[in-house]
Amino acid sequence: MSAAPVITLHVVGPLRAYCGGAARISIAAGTIRAALLELERNQAALYRNLCDETGAVRRHLNVFVNSDNVRDLEGVDTTLTAGDVLTFLPAVSGG
Amino acid sequence: MADRVLLSIGTRKGVFVAEAAKARRSFALRGPFGTGVPVYSTLVDHRGAARVYASSCSPFFGMKILCSTDLGKSFKETKSAPAFPKEDGRALANIWSLEVGAGKKELWCGVEPASLFRSPDGGDSWEMVPGISNHEHARKWEPGAGGLCMHTIIRDGNRVHLGISTGGHYLSEDGGRTFRASNKGVGAGFAPDPYPEFGQCVHKIARHDDAPGRLYMQNHGGWADWTGPGGPRPNIGVLRSDDYGLTWRSIAAGLPSDFGFPIVVHPHDADTVYVMPLETATRSCPGGAPAVWRSENGGGSWSRLARGFPKKESYFTVQRDAMTIDALKAPALYVGTTTGQLWIGRDGGESFECLFDSLPPIHNVKVTVV
Repeated sequence: MSAAPVITLHVVGPLRAYCGGAARISIAAGTIRAALLELERNQAALYRNLCDETGAVRRHLNVFVNSDNVRDLEGVDTTLTAGDVLTFLPAVSGG
Repeated sequence: MADRVLLSIGTRKGVFVAEAAKARRSFALRGPFGTGVPVYSTLVDHRGAARVYASSCSPFFGMKILCSTDLGKSFKETKSAPAFPKEDGRALANIWSLEVGAGKKELWCGVEPASLFRSPDGGDSWEMVPGISNHEHARKWEPGAGGLCMHTIIRDGNRVHLGISTGGHYLSEDGGRTFRASNKGVGAGFAPDPYPEFGQCVHKIARHDDAPGRLYMQNHGGWADWTGPGGPRPNIGVLRSDDYGLTWRSIAAGLPSDFGFPIVVHPHDADTVYVMPLETATRSCPGGAPAVWRSENGGGSWSRLARGFPKKESYFTVQRDAMTIDALKAPALYVGTTTGQLWIGRDGGESFECLFDSLPPIHNVKVTVV
């Protein structure tokens, strides 16, 4: 079995307090779902900001792989390749 | 240190704290804390060293509980926030109420979707209370306009009263282990059956320690003109119980509208109760002229208190937790508006004055003397 690709999670400013101030975190994961599992195991506080109790990505967050919104790909089952940048961004909503 | 009056103000853009000397001539404002995130519930817990709690309800990053141990000069997140067990299938959407529990550190918390949580350690850990959260009715409750929220928690020894919109009034007589719907006399306007067992849109419930059997309720009124199935339902909006919430009767006669959100009891007189009637269709001040209405005989009759309020062109809403009263000898009311004004009603509401006129929309105001 080949090793999972290493990707970079870009952490938005308001969430850096939940991962020791890190702006980027390297994760070995072949899909977004696998990356979230990894975060749940190793970055629980950060994970709780991204996913609700059911494990779903919070409703008002958009997830991007590089510049692509994963709603146009395969959602959390989108495949990741080495060097990808994964970003969770608050949707532009509210006032 | 001389007595200080402390207000916690939950707004759409964070929590503010205002402090004044006992005379309450002017308040110094601190904040916002939890900046940019709605705060629907606050609590000043003065068991031991005072703590100020606030629910920080981010639509993006989820729910947090903030705690201040320096009277609102700074806030930190508690170690955890309420959360449903993963296998439950529900996800927390909002935190609507925070109340003190037993002992020195227990907290109770009502959330959306309507459920109850309890913390034994001042908010650092939480457990769901299954007697109401998994009640056989729980999956049948429906959200009101504000969501499916548990907004009222009243503890009275082994009795616990809960207010749920839209679920109704639930009563426990065993300290919160089990609950039953207790809505006899509480009307609903949005269902063919005017008096269902449960499912009423209760807006707020209040009581006084000197009259523990008596409860006051602001229910979702405004159904006097309903002509559909079940017929009109006048005056179902403001109610009173004299038997610990087993039965309820209307005390709305004499009010300009039986629709409103908050209901508040005078700290030194269980017969004196305050409501803020609103127009049903707009949820705003009748005729654009804000007024608090006061009864000094337990709802037998009502008088209008409007001195100092604008006489016209004011169309704000006062939300369910945005009116409160302090416990000083001549108590003052505090009224927060959706237009970001915080009003003080001195001498029990005889004369109103605007303390702050440009805060974010106000969801919640609590007061204590520390």
